[in-house]
Amino acid sequence: MNALILSAIWGLVMMFCGVFVKSKSIPKYIAVLGLSIVLISSMIELLTKKSFFHFGYNNMLNTEGFNLSFIVIILFCTLIYFLLTGSEIEKVGAHVGEYFALIFFVLCGISIVATFNTLLMLFIGIEIISIPLYILTGSDKRNLKSNEAALKYFLMGAFSTGIMLMGIAFIYGGNPNASFYIDKIEMGIGHMPVLIAVGLLFVLVSMSFKVSAAPFHFWTPDVYDGAPTVFTSFMSSVVKVAGFFAFLRLFEHAFGIVQDQWQVLIVFITVATLLIGNVTAVFQQSVKRMLAYSSIAQAGFMLLAIFALNDKAKEGILLYAAAYSLASIGLFGVLTKMEDYTIDGFNGLAKEQPVLGLAATIFLLSLTGIPLTAGFQSKFFMLMAAIQNGHHFWIVIVAVLFAAISAYYYFRVIQAIYFKEATKTIILPHSINIPFKIMLIVIAALILIIGVYPELVIGWMYR
Amino acid sequence: MNITTLVFILLSVMSVGSAIMMISSKSPVHSVLWLIVVFFAISGHYILLNAQFLAIVNIIVYAGAIMVLFLFVVMLMNLNAETEPIKNYRLQLVGIISGGALLLVIVSAVMKIDTEQLVEMKVGDAGLIKVLGMNLFKNYILPFEISSVLFLSAMIGAVVIGKKDDEVVNKPEN
Repeated sequence: MNALILSAIWGLVMMFCGVFVKSKSIPKYIAVLGLSIVLISSMIELLTKKSFFHFGYNNMLNTEGFNLSFIVIILFCTLIYFLLTGSEIEKVGAHVGEYFALIFFVLCGISIVATFNTLLMLFIGIEIISIPLYILTGSDKRNLKSNEAALKYFLMGAFSTGIMLMGIAFIYGGNPNASFYIDKIEMGIGHMPVLIAVGLLFVLVSMSFKVSAAPFHFWTPDVYDGAPTVFTSFMSSVVKVAGFFAFLRLFEHAFGIVQDQWQVLIVFITVATLLIGNVTAVFQQSVKRMLAYSSIAQAGFMLLAIFALNDKAKEGILLYAAAYSLASIGLFGVLTKMEDYTIDGFNGLAKEQPVLGLAATIFLLSLTGIPLTAGFQSKFFMLMAAIQNGHHFWIVIVAVLFAAISAYYYFRVIQAIYFKEATKTIILPHSINIPFKIMLIVIAALILIIGVYPELVIGWMYR
Repeated sequence: MNITTLVFILLSVMSVGSAIMMISSKSPVHSVLWLIVVFFAISGHYILLNAQFLAIVNIIVYAGAIMVLFLFVVMLMNLNAETEPIKNYRLQLVGIISGGALLLVIVSAVMKIDTEQLVEMKVGDAGLIKVLGMNLFKNYILPFEISSVLFLSAMIGAVVIGKKDDEVVNKPEN
């Protein structure tokens, strides 16, 4: 588990960097260096199947190729995030080193929830992800909206964590094996034991909350809108797909054999998420808020993986992780440079900054799921997985219909970028430099490449 | 019915009763005091389950430290009738419905439990300090060590949120 140990250690390094390095621009470079080390060592672990660290972890973590490749994708996307918007993190507040340290701890938590084998590790992983996020949400201390968002997120998150803990207690209590291991939960014959059913319900509710699936999504727009835009970018991309990975892993290994007993619940949650996310996004005027609702809508598509629970779904979640994270990181990166976050604020972007306009268009097309982009491939894999599952075929039709609706609000931004005239300054002055443009081009190119060769992402999982 | 069953029933009535009193009492200070009674009753349950260490820790940490903090906060906030939020009846209705649904689920789960084995006493040694230590440092060493990351991030968070921003003057407006 190189990613787990090294990201925790580098979190410590970043913490001390906050104490000893007075300059505000240096922590970024140290963070990029550290993240590169974590990424390369995780790749080595994925390729050689050997960790640098040998310690007995009682089979509490499962480092199979699928899980490790997910961690590699997450680390890669975070590296891109650091390179693209690292300089924006410096502008949030005074504690730059600490912000990076918290992000490293989040990565540590993600590597736990991607590999957990016991409910105990799942709980600790979810908590390690959540606590730094509450703080990052409220890091813009002078902004009342940020404070409100942090408090709201903290209260709701703590409540949902409590529900999850209660669910875990129910599962443990109803399990004759008295074990936290997810593959040792006794499901019984016919109907599952009622205590485990209650536990499953509670865990389902709290996991749906963490990935902001409807009807547990109410915190999402306020929190994503209130948090500093750089951290919204991290929360809505990397952290969200990590939540989905944990969700998938838990429901596949712990409750997979009784899928027919809870599948209808997932169907309900999926349809509600698609409906609420897409329809509400249509009415948004602020692009940041629209992206918050669109992240709920994308969550509906990712829920199809938990609905399907087959190999295609696993491939799909990897692709979705890469495609969705890259596109949202890029789009939020563009958003941090904008003077005005409303859709009208994008008017005439293509004329003033052709590179930004083109890149943003590619990101939006990928989020919509237009062919030749990574977003298309990931949606395609999800729908195929849902068809292969064989039950509730109509959910595929519903998903496609809502994907069509999503084109409306994504294309409105594209329309503003290309077909409208700017009436005022649209870009923050002196904010665009050459490396930023190069990173945008790299991300757009990656999205197109993955859109043509999805095997680039999926192939890792069978190593 | 032997003495342990009697003690169990007594403690259960005490914990549930004082929990209800905690929610329904008007004054927040009374609520906190009732909560302390709940913690003591639960500690009694731990002793019945042969988990003395857990019982002591529960009293020291929860009934002691955390409750004192609670009392401080409640008294500092100076709550009175004027600061009470306006009651929203629609919200109360929603609360009743969702809480009732939750109660239904839990009650239906509890109904299925084998009532023959309502109280199981003097068995198991999971709560003894020796066994706890062995478990914590042998079987559960990984979660035990990893939770240090959790506490560390909480501490950093407290510093980030609480420390005065001395550079705030130089911060560019955005």
